Amino acid sequence: MSSPELVTVTIDGRDIQVPKGHGMIEAALEAGIEIPVFCYEPRLGGPIGACRMCLCEVEGMPKLQAACTMTAQDGLALSTAQTSAKAAEGQNAVLEFILLNHPLDCPDCDKGGECPLQDLTFRWGPGATRMRFPKRTFDKPIPVSPLIALDRERCILCYRCTRFSETVAEDGQLVAVARGASSIITTFQDEPYRAHFSGNVLELCPVGALTSTTYRFRARPWEIQNVPTVCGLCPVGCNVWATTREDKVARILSRNHGEVHEGWLCDKGRFAYAHLRAEDRISLPRRRVRRRGFEPVSWDEALDEAERALREAGGPVVVAFSGGETVEHAAALARLVREGLGGGSALLPETFHPTLDRFRAPLSAIRDADLCIVLGDEPVVERAPIVDLWLRAARRGGAEVATLNPAGTVSLPPGSAAWAAAQLQSESAAPELRPLARKLKEAERVALVWSEDDPSGGAHLAALADAVGVKASAYFLPRTPNGRGVAEAWGQPGETPTGEIGALIVSGDEAAADPRARELAERARFVLTTSMFESDLTLWANVVVPGTSYLERDGTTVNLEGRPQRQRRAVTPPSEDELVFFAALARRFGVEIDPWPGMLPDDHAPLPRPADQNGPVSAPKARAATSRSGKGLALVRYSALFSGAAVERVPQLQFQRPYPEIELAHPDAAARGISTGDSVTVSSNGTSKTLTARVNRRLREGVARIASEHAEGLENRVEVAGG
Amino acid sequence: MPPTRKAKHKLLFAQAEGRDLTRLPEYERVGGYESLKKALKMERSAVVDELLAANLRGRGGAGFPTGRKASFLPKPGDTPKPIYLVANADESEPGTFKDREIMARIPHMFIEGIVIAAHAIGASAAFIYLRGEYLREFEIVRDALEEARHAGLAGPNVLGSGWDLTIVIHRGAGAYICGEETALLESLEGKRGQPRSKPPFPAISGVYESPTLINNVETLATVPKIIELGGKKYAKLGVENSTGTRVFSLSGNVANGGNYEVELGTSLRELIYDIGGGIPGGRELKAIIPGGSSVPVLTAAEVDTPLDFDSMARAGTMLGSGAVIVMDDRCCMVQLGLRVAQFYMHESCGKCTPCREGTRWMVSILRKIEEGEASQGELDLLLNVCDRILGNCLCPLGDAAAMPVASYVARFRAEYQRHIDEGGCPFDGDSTLDHVMAPVDQHHARVRSEIEVPA
Amino acid sequence: MSSALYDEIQTIAAQYPERRSAIMPALRLAQEKFGWLSPEALREVADALDVTPAYCAAIASFYDMFHLEPVGRHMVEVCTNISCALVGAQQVLEAFESELGIEAGQTTEDGRFTLRTVECAGGCGWGTVVSVDHRYREPVKPEDVPGIVEELRSAAD
Ligand SMILES: Cc1cc2nc3c(=O)[nH]c(=O)nc-3n(C[C@H](O)[C@H](O)[C@H](O)COP(=O)(O)O)c2cc1C
Ligand code: SF4
Ligand code: FES
Repeated sequence: MSSPELVTVTIDGRDIQVPKGHGMIEAALEAGIEIPVFCYEPRLGGPIGACRMCLCEVEGMPKLQAACTMTAQDGLALSTAQTSAKAAEGQNAVLEFILLNHPLDCPDCDKGGECPLQDLTFRWGPGATRMRFPKRTFDKPIPVSPLIALDRERCILCYRCTRFSETVAEDGQLVAVARGASSIITTFQDEPYRAHFSGNVLELCPVGALTSTTYRFRARPWEIQNVPTVCGLCPVGCNVWATTREDKVARILSRNHGEVHEGWLCDKGRFAYAHLRAEDRISLPRRRVRRRGFEPVSWDEALDEAERALREAGGPVVVAFSGGETVEHAAALARLVREGLGGGSALLPETFHPTLDRFRAPLSAIRDADLCIVLGDEPVVERAPIVDLWLRAARRGGAEVATLNPAGTVSLPPGSAAWAAAQLQSESAAPELRPLARKLKEAERVALVWSEDDPSGGAHLAALADAVGVKASAYFLPRTPNGRGVAEAWGQPGETPTGEIGALIVSGDEAAADPRARELAERARFVLTTSMFESDLTLWANVVVPGTSYLERDGTTVNLEGRPQRQRRAVTPPSEDELVFFAALARRFGVEIDPWPGMLPDDHAPLPRPADQNGPVSAPKARAATSRSGKGLALVRYSALFSGAAVERVPQLQFQRPYPEIELAHPDAAARGISTGDSVTVSSNGTSKTLTARVNRRLREGVARIASEHAEGLENRVEVAGG
Repeated sequence: MPPTRKAKHKLLFAQAEGRDLTRLPEYERVGGYESLKKALKMERSAVVDELLAANLRGRGGAGFPTGRKASFLPKPGDTPKPIYLVANADESEPGTFKDREIMARIPHMFIEGIVIAAHAIGASAAFIYLRGEYLREFEIVRDALEEARHAGLAGPNVLGSGWDLTIVIHRGAGAYICGEETALLESLEGKRGQPRSKPPFPAISGVYESPTLINNVETLATVPKIIELGGKKYAKLGVENSTGTRVFSLSGNVANGGNYEVELGTSLRELIYDIGGGIPGGRELKAIIPGGSSVPVLTAAEVDTPLDFDSMARAGTMLGSGAVIVMDDRCCMVQLGLRVAQFYMHESCGKCTPCREGTRWMVSILRKIEEGEASQGELDLLLNVCDRILGNCLCPLGDAAAMPVASYVARFRAEYQRHIDEGGCPFDGDSTLDHVMAPVDQHHARVRSEIEVPA
Repeated sequence: MSSALYDEIQTIAAQYPERRSAIMPALRLAQEKFGWLSPEALREVADALDVTPAYCAAIASFYDMFHLEPVGRHMVEVCTNISCALVGAQQVLEAFESELGIEAGQTTEDGRFTLRTVECAGGCGWGTVVSVDHRYREPVKPEDVPGIVEELRSAAD
């Protein structure tokens, strides 16, 4: 790539060289000059020049100009308020206008101490107001959702929040209504702002207008510490700051990693931390006594019990992983089992295809692609939310984003991903994929995304990427945050034994919820779980060791790109973490493991280069799926982002959980006389549920979709009838 | 709409007297669409050259040379994007109603101008952004367009040339700001009508991020006449730098309000007295707004100022939209300021800070002055607030509020001073603008206005 | 969901290079059908254009001609901008207020009339301009008002 042309601009008399077209706010910063801004936020798209805070004098222009809207051109000479009296007067004017209707409630404003408006007023603002009229008043604060409070009096109408909603998340829910001085920020009919990324507006708001209900009045800026770490709730691995106060997590803020998430977080990552303090958290080790009872035991007694049981196991050892463990934690288990116990097998949450590393690229490369193809029936936003934002950014930038699923831009029957991947490689693609196959040939940069559970999904994706060639980057979206790191740390999973099992180690809450682990437990003589919360399996287990959250331990996690990242302990767990436990246990079997992870990645981790390998990629044969076989509708289920143990334990997040609803295609609904909002009966093979219908005009005829947490007991074909 | 009275040098309306030019056959009988036929035989650039030779300046308000604006657009072969023409028919500048009469009486001339201009820039589609309240005019233009399409004068394969021009009428819905060109484009794209930051200018990235030429109704309706006469001959009308005729909208305290098409350079006196019949009821002329409510006011003493761009600039004001509002001696200049400020407060789009907050502040201060409760300092504060709005906004609407109000104070300072000194309005309820109910003050039938309007 | 409105909106949307441009005509259609832009009306437009109801509200509330609260079956709008005000618009408004028994901005209790003032209507030389059900009457003098109201009262709604 050729480097961009450099030009010389002059800012406050200082000449600096920057690339042509560089934003002047950034150029000034590079010269060490700060131009105050409110509305300007490059991540929200082009500048809008609305707040006028950045007015500067520009040589050759009679009027002051908004610096945020200017780009570097050779010879451009700009003077900020620091050297130009005219610019200073303009800036004072704007600040006075902003403060006209802004209440002076800084002492009890949550933004106090970290508020750009407060800082600017302190530095440049007028000492007293010249406004002798009543300020605008509103009811305050009003809930925008259970997570977000809005104080309209403090709002300075910078439109950052609404631009985020409209142009980044594209949820279109937070909007400005009315006009002029009557303009306000609102949702439709005061309904809650219910969207996957809503919490980002809290960090975007430059004043205390939008505040977090979970953080309001909890802490003052000088009482807190910010710990750099990585979110452990999905495979994206967003970089975050965990704000702690008195050894408790008080909030999660984003820590911008431009290649991973550009500073955005989903609401699960931002708000689910409260599950750390859930009432049903397991905080003490315990062991089973007699058939039904438990007794709390000390850490050493738990170790004794585990050691005894493992020595007496007398049969194969199996470890069931959650996919959220750190690499060090998984490696410790691997060494314990292989070196200390003479071997065993593992139940891994997912399968990875190593060839995919050839097509490794940062997530930000999606934005730079001109064609993105998403294969698989699960919505990307539910699996790896930030990837959805990157795809939207790509589309806004002019890329074509083709989604191949029953509700996609290319409508395919459920279960068509593997077939579609094969078709796209073939010289004579099926008619519905032919236009896309042609575009795939012509495109210059292609991003391929796989979004569903399929053990051979990685192979299909790799084969397609291989056929597309060097211009392809490939992203396999795992279901678990560190399933890949865990799998690599463990190595070959080995055959799962049949018959009686000597000992089963259930690592983490997701493993405890896995029906396969449950089945193994029934055959196991001894079951040990490490869990944060109670589940069927903790009630079944012989020994229960308290589990920890990603915010409570140090270690390495590998995200879906294959980027090893560092998680840090932000707060102290209720008892020692799993690594300490298994290191101690391993020592009893003569295996020395460091209970503190040694070499950890940087806090701003780079992505390893794409793997340098050659050779053919083969994928299993795939057949075309059809939605027309059998009676009723084909059911597609997906695990929703806002489902699961952590979300269930945060009261403020309940409204984000998937509605008990079934999505129906327009013709199917019409044929049954069903409209959106109707109560319908969904049944299959003896199970019957009442759900609310929602007609989705994009959904393919013959297909229905339900979030997994509402689809329990239903088979793959369902009958739907109006109430 | 009452008929327009005879004025002197008519060009656009020359043949409209006593004829129904809304019908195509009648329009063709007086030479309609001949200019289009002529233009289609000309090179695109030759059409633009005629506009340059005519020195036609935009009739929407800013007076930018039309030919130059057209020449900023990329040529059809040089851009992968479609090129669009947009007719600005959102006419809402207070005092202005000329575009309405053009659309109502000579709609085909307007359409012909659109087709010629679209040909000149190689546009594939044209949009008419037509003020929402103009229902009758919409119906007339819609019907005329239908006739033109049937006759092959617009639509697919215009006059057998192989060139297709789709024309879509897009109706506004009541927002003055949508007359500002970039706000108009946003509104046309289905967004809130808030102005965009420029650059990029519409000529490079306009509607749907494509090159776009935007012109006022009257500007476009003048184009066929320029092609008919030739740019040079057209330029002989009017005065230097202000060529041709303009349709002036005359209103207020004048005997015969209405639209009058006269040569540029005609004096205000001639328009108000000779054509408009002077001030009725034996009252005296007090003040004149020469170009719509956005421009600075002139006093009675300046009634001999010629209506052309340069003379107006020398007098410290602007020709604007060509709306001449006449005030007699019963008009309180503080009330005028208040009513004008209320208009801009109501119409401020809310995007940029100085306009949104400043216009509201101006209204508060002016109300206080009118009620006789303002201190001396607050009169200075008013001027300072105007000054702090001026030049600091995203679009010209803020200036359009600050400039005229500042001019009222400057030219009628004594009257403002009396309000302060006497603790009330010297007109004592007898002013024509006394207690006029402005839309900002009434309970809104749209979103409940949650702002507390200062009492 | 009325599929007639849905289909009409699709036809309008097809006229534009980008569908979103159809939002203003779609809102106008929905308003004609429902009398005002109720939440339900906004939801229908949103569904037809694949935008959110909030987006529809953001657009509708920007423009004076869209009504987010119920309005009377007859709409009387009096221009009170300078040109009309200079020739007696306030007196015309007051004549309507007393004739209808409501103030500017209000709707009669029987839901028949909404009276409001508007900014410059674009008939300044022929003031006072009054728009009655979107048709201009110009010029209107205070003495014309009883006749206009009588005419509307006797007309079928
Ligand atoms: C607040 C504001 C309102 C405007 N309203 C109108 C209008 O109603 N009609 C119009 O033609 N131009 C209006 N303009 C001017 C347009 O921005 C633009 O300059 C014009 O349409 C260009 O056409 P012209 O070159 O043919 O005059 C307005 C400008 C501003 C700043
Ligand atoms: S709420 Fe905050 S982010 Fe949104 S417009 Fe107001 S000040 Fe800006
Ligand atoms: S930061 Fe430049 S206008 Fe807001």
